[in-house]
Amino acid sequence: MKLMKFAAAAATSILLSTSIAAADDKPVVGLIMKSLANEFFQNMLAGAEAHAEKRGDYELRAVGMQNETDFESQINAVENFITQGVDAIVVAPADSKAMVRPLKRAMEAGIVVINFDVALDEGAKKQQGVDLAFVGPDNRGGAKMAGDALGSALGEGAKVVIIEGNPGADNATQRRLGFEDAVAEHKLNLLDSRTAHWETEEANQVFATMLTANPDIQGVMAANDSMAIGVVKALESAGRSDIKVVGFDAIPAVLPMIEDGRLLASVDQFGQEMAANSIDLALDVLAGGPQLEGWVKTPIELVAGE
Amino acid sequence: MSAVDITPHSPEKTSMSIRSVINNAGIGIALLLMILFFSVASEHFLSANNITNILTQITINLVLAVGMTFVILIGGIDLSVGSVMAFAAVVAGKAITLPGLGATELIILAVLAGVLAGMICGILNGVVSAYWSLPSFIITLGMLNIARGAALQISGAQTIYSFPFAFEEFGSMLIYGVPVVFLVALALVVIAWFVLNRTVFGRLIYGIGNNEEAVRLAGHPVFWYKVAAFSICGLTAGIAAIIYMARLNISSPIAGIGFELNAIAAVIIGGTSLSGGRGSVIGTLLGAFIIGVLANGLILIGLSDFVRQMITGLVIVIAVILDHYRAKYSAS
Repeated sequence: MKLMKFAAAAATSILLSTSIAAADDKPVVGLIMKSLANEFFQNMLAGAEAHAEKRGDYELRAVGMQNETDFESQINAVENFITQGVDAIVVAPADSKAMVRPLKRAMEAGIVVINFDVALDEGAKKQQGVDLAFVGPDNRGGAKMAGDALGSALGEGAKVVIIEGNPGADNATQRRLGFEDAVAEHKLNLLDSRTAHWETEEANQVFATMLTANPDIQGVMAANDSMAIGVVKALESAGRSDIKVVGFDAIPAVLPMIEDGRLLASVDQFGQEMAANSIDLALDVLAGGPQLEGWVKTPIELVAGE
Repeated sequence: MSAVDITPHSPEKTSMSIRSVINNAGIGIALLLMILFFSVASEHFLSANNITNILTQITINLVLAVGMTFVILIGGIDLSVGSVMAFAAVVAGKAITLPGLGATELIILAVLAGVLAGMICGILNGVVSAYWSLPSFIITLGMLNIARGAALQISGAQTIYSFPFAFEEFGSMLIYGVPVVFLVALALVVIAWFVLNRTVFGRLIYGIGNNEEAVRLAGHPVFWYKVAAFSICGLTAGIAAIIYMARLNISSPIAGIGFELNAIAAVIIGGTSLSGGRGSVIGTLLGAFIIGVLANGLILIGLSDFVRQMITGLVIVIAVILDHYRAKYSAS
């Protein structure tokens, strides 16, 4: 008897929930980001949540990861979203190759997939027969903007070094290439290029030593602002105010440094809006708009002092 | 006192310290050879600026490694120090950016908050692992995640910045070219050396690493000694956090990732046995120097990042192999 009652109650509640969903009929968007320990993605999440509240015509389900390289949990997240039957998946892939296959399955299940922030690998896409547009900033172009700012401030032949992000990370590679483009264009003299794994303390140590080895450095290009802060501190301890530094990301902590000139420039890629914009694009496609093609570039902007 | 002779200056102790001098001499010679090599290979290596750099660069690792020495001496390990340092830095960062207080009050508050935050993590590590006799490897692995999560939660994953000027000044102050923060680390080494070699507490730390049961049977509260060792490790992580903040003028919740491994490496290269009971904090000082000199020197001679990482790993392996022979000879 009791069991029957329970089963009946369960059945009604299932009916209820489906009817609620039917009445609401809001599209469900699954947002998959990288490490939420990263300031950039934390801001992005905040931006997406505010966006969902403001638009109010879709349901947001957001997931992040433990760390930058934990792509297995991203694959699981895609599979979970397929099972849940979401309408769209908006994803910043942690690995540009590993994510292609699970996303292909999602597309085959009729889910609208938007790839943002980091582009999926072209070769892997071709191999799997996936045709998917990319929505995101031009990391290489952004880094070149920062490098250009440094190049025009220093002039031809100036001696510069690069502080790189994590070796193997796609955005780290793109930013390094962008810096190298600027080096070539402004005919700068690149003395050394080393990783500090995106981190302030390591950048501080690595750069202080590079400065000892090359006291005639004139400019520094750091692949993110956390590392640029470490460089600026090393310059302060060495009593060198003649060396110019550029960073990337325009995090709040560097804005005072840009204002007082300790940092020449940084690059804002509007991470806060990036996820929200990608969701807008996904909803447009869901509403019957045309499929996206190629590379939908999102805005980037050089942030420099007066 | 108790049945076991643990009074300072026992004859057994004297022979132990002679042995430890010989052990340390080996590490010291290795360090000197490295210094010799780099000073020939790079004209900048022995410049005053670079020596200041090296001292600054080894400071945080040395502070963490001093605390780690206590934990490894009792046969434990603390994998959480990097995360605990970040947690302490975020707590202190929140304190130092409170509105409506003067610079001096803020600095005192932040130092207390940071050191206390580190110590609480250490106490938890010690109490949980000692009370249930659980491997500290797993308990501190748990704390590694708890402290990192707490740091991210409290800070909202944002870098905390703009600290009082006096605090920043302390981080970059030099006395005859020697960074004040390094002197703090050196003072910790001296205190730790005194505690480990000249107090009953210190001898019991070695005793627990050698034969925990004997110390227990002698009527000593092993539980509390273990908690104390982990608390000291947490305390040094808190001090490291303050130094990190003073040097870089920010608190980052992602600071200190992997620092535990460098601290353990400094202790092990310094000749302290991973199974506990044998080693010294002077060795740890030399171990921290070896890691710091290596990191600095290999950049100066222009080796690539990847080769540099391989060589650092190689040095750790060689140090452990040497330690194996040292243990064998001192046992025979």
